[in-house]
Amino acid sequence: MANNKKKHLTIFGLLVIALTCLSQPAFAFEDDEGCLLCHKYPKMGRITEDGTRRSYYVMPHVFGETVHRNVPCTGCHNYIKQLPHRPVKEGVTCNTECHSIKNPATGKNFSHQPIYDKYEQSSHFRPKLAEGHDQDKPYCVTCHRNPIYNPQETEAPKHITNRCVVCHEDKNFVETWYKHTSRRIKDIKRSSRDIVALCSSCHGDKRLIERHLKAAKAEGRELGRKYPKAAESYKNSFHGKVTGYGFKEAANCLDCHADASNYYLSVHNLKPSRDPASPVSDGNRLNTCKRCHTYADENYAALDPHPTSGKEDNPFSYYANLIYGWVGDVVFLALIALAAFETVGRRRDGVGWRLWHGSSWWRPSKRGRDRVE
Amino acid sequence: MKLSDEARRVLETSMRINKTGDAERREIEDVIARMPDDRVLLYKNVVSNPIGDLPRYSIHIRIQHMLTFVTFLMLAFTGLPIAFFGHYWAEPLNSVLGGVDVTRIIHRTLAAAMIFAMVYHIITIILGTAIKLKNKTFELKRSIIPTLKDARDFKHDLLYFAGKLDQRPEMDKFMYKQKLHYFAAAFGNFVMVISGSSFLFPEFWASILPASIASYFQEMMRLSHPHEALLALLVIAFWHWYNVHLAPGRFPMQWTFLTGKITREHQIEEHFLEYLRCLVEIPSERKELLEMLAARELDQLDNTGAQGAQSQ
Repeated sequence: MANNKKKHLTIFGLLVIALTCLSQPAFAFEDDEGCLLCHKYPKMGRITEDGTRRSYYVMPHVFGETVHRNVPCTGCHNYIKQLPHRPVKEGVTCNTECHSIKNPATGKNFSHQPIYDKYEQSSHFRPKLAEGHDQDKPYCVTCHRNPIYNPQETEAPKHITNRCVVCHEDKNFVETWYKHTSRRIKDIKRSSRDIVALCSSCHGDKRLIERHLKAAKAEGRELGRKYPKAAESYKNSFHGKVTGYGFKEAANCLDCHADASNYYLSVHNLKPSRDPASPVSDGNRLNTCKRCHTYADENYAALDPHPTSGKEDNPFSYYANLIYGWVGDVVFLALIALAAFETVGRRRDGVGWRLWHGSSWWRPSKRGRDRVE
Repeated sequence: MKLSDEARRVLETSMRINKTGDAERREIEDVIARMPDDRVLLYKNVVSNPIGDLPRYSIHIRIQHMLTFVTFLMLAFTGLPIAFFGHYWAEPLNSVLGGVDVTRIIHRTLAAAMIFAMVYHIITIILGTAIKLKNKTFELKRSIIPTLKDARDFKHDLLYFAGKLDQRPEMDKFMYKQKLHYFAAAFGNFVMVISGSSFLFPEFWASILPASIASYFQEMMRLSHPHEALLALLVIAFWHWYNVHLAPGRFPMQWTFLTGKITREHQIEEHFLEYLRCLVEIPSERKELLEMLAARELDQLDNTGAQGAQSQ
């Protein structure tokens, strides 16, 4: 009897383990619309007319951890009215008004429209379906992916939330708002090195720059003097070199080109330096420099933060660099030649390399007058 | 040995400065008369201690050399990976010392130590010269100041190594190579300090320079710092280390930078005029030389025939 009970317990235990191991991970977001009926399949995708492989696979366990996890699919894909849906033409635009999430401050439907309005005024703006050279410009998703929600913490720390629940009795509410707020308080913006890498992905793309230079010339449009070498010249600057090594205190692209007083809005509204509103325009440059270089003056603001040594754009630096290079080569070759010449001369004279004590003049000289032993 | 006019002048000056008495003067003249005319025989036959025989550098100069030597190498080690960022060797070299957050602190600290060595050297030189001037013992040709003779010595030396001349030039305490190297290093240090300070205090330099040249200055300094560093490293690696380590006769190392002494054979070969001063200032050196001449049968007065035959 006791044996049977033990046997049943063992079988029950094995069943529990097997079910635990074989079960699919629970979806962290509600799929009330049934989108995962199709999009859960990893091989769901197609090859477009131009040969691009597009995947339409949604990983529910990953999406469920992202900042958009509470937004139903049709909150963004609002053009889908039926299933199976029709071929998608425009796709998601990031200024869509979300009907499922309310802005807790205003009670209105949540939307990225305010920041999109800023982006619309920037020199980077392009519509979602851009044509011509505008296609090279960044759309929202060029810079922003769908990041993991609060990657620093899996659980809100109890020693903090225990205090909140004294008044806010709903623990879920407390936990959610703790994570929402703490994510924004913590420094979650990109590192300087990442910002440089992101900007350089376009501003360091020689073919892209070439296309735009040609287009601007054909259209008679003005481009910045440093536009062709913006990324390259920054990387050669002192700021660029130390930032490249992960140093956090030197200026990255946005530290100068975005308005620090309203940083997160300003990075979406970058202007060319010839625009008076730009932090690096002639009128604002000194104040921008002074943010780090407290004692900067007009002379300092005139220094070139994007140093180049091209013959056309900086002949002074070009020729100085050239002369330095020549001097280096000549000195190097001359010293090697002189050392070789002296070695031959001295060896012929009877001196040699001797590791231990004694005179160096132990070899018979071809010129006679040897050491008397 | 019959001294050249130049050598005679140096000897007379040295004896005057050292207030050499008549008896000692006769002794010095006797030693010189016994030296073979062929200086090659002299420096090939003297007995030398590789650690050094004759005084050359004071303790101050040795400390300054040590400070410059250590700081220069470490400055290059910490600075070049930043200047040449992007090269395959740069990042590993920078990481070895803990990354740019650490190397920039090391670099600046060493720069301060190098500047200290420079200031220490300048003070030593100025005070040393002032004391010599006061005591009326200063000799311009014994100093590091370049003269026209250095250019002549350089030409003469090239002809000697090419086999066109029979003797190396009679050079002073500092030969043309050392003078060139010294002033190249001094100029390099100056450029490195100015350009380095333009990175550390760009606002200061911009504020004191006229607006028309502030930008060019900063640009020039940005180029100069790594170029000058690389040039200095090339000169050190391919010339200085050749001259003091690798050249036949100097291998494996001249100990002068540690002991402050130069070997007898080196002094006679490359600094003959200074060796004449040693004969005046160090009585034991006269005895040492006479013993060598006798032992090797090179005494000019005793054995002029043999000496003449060997120098053919």
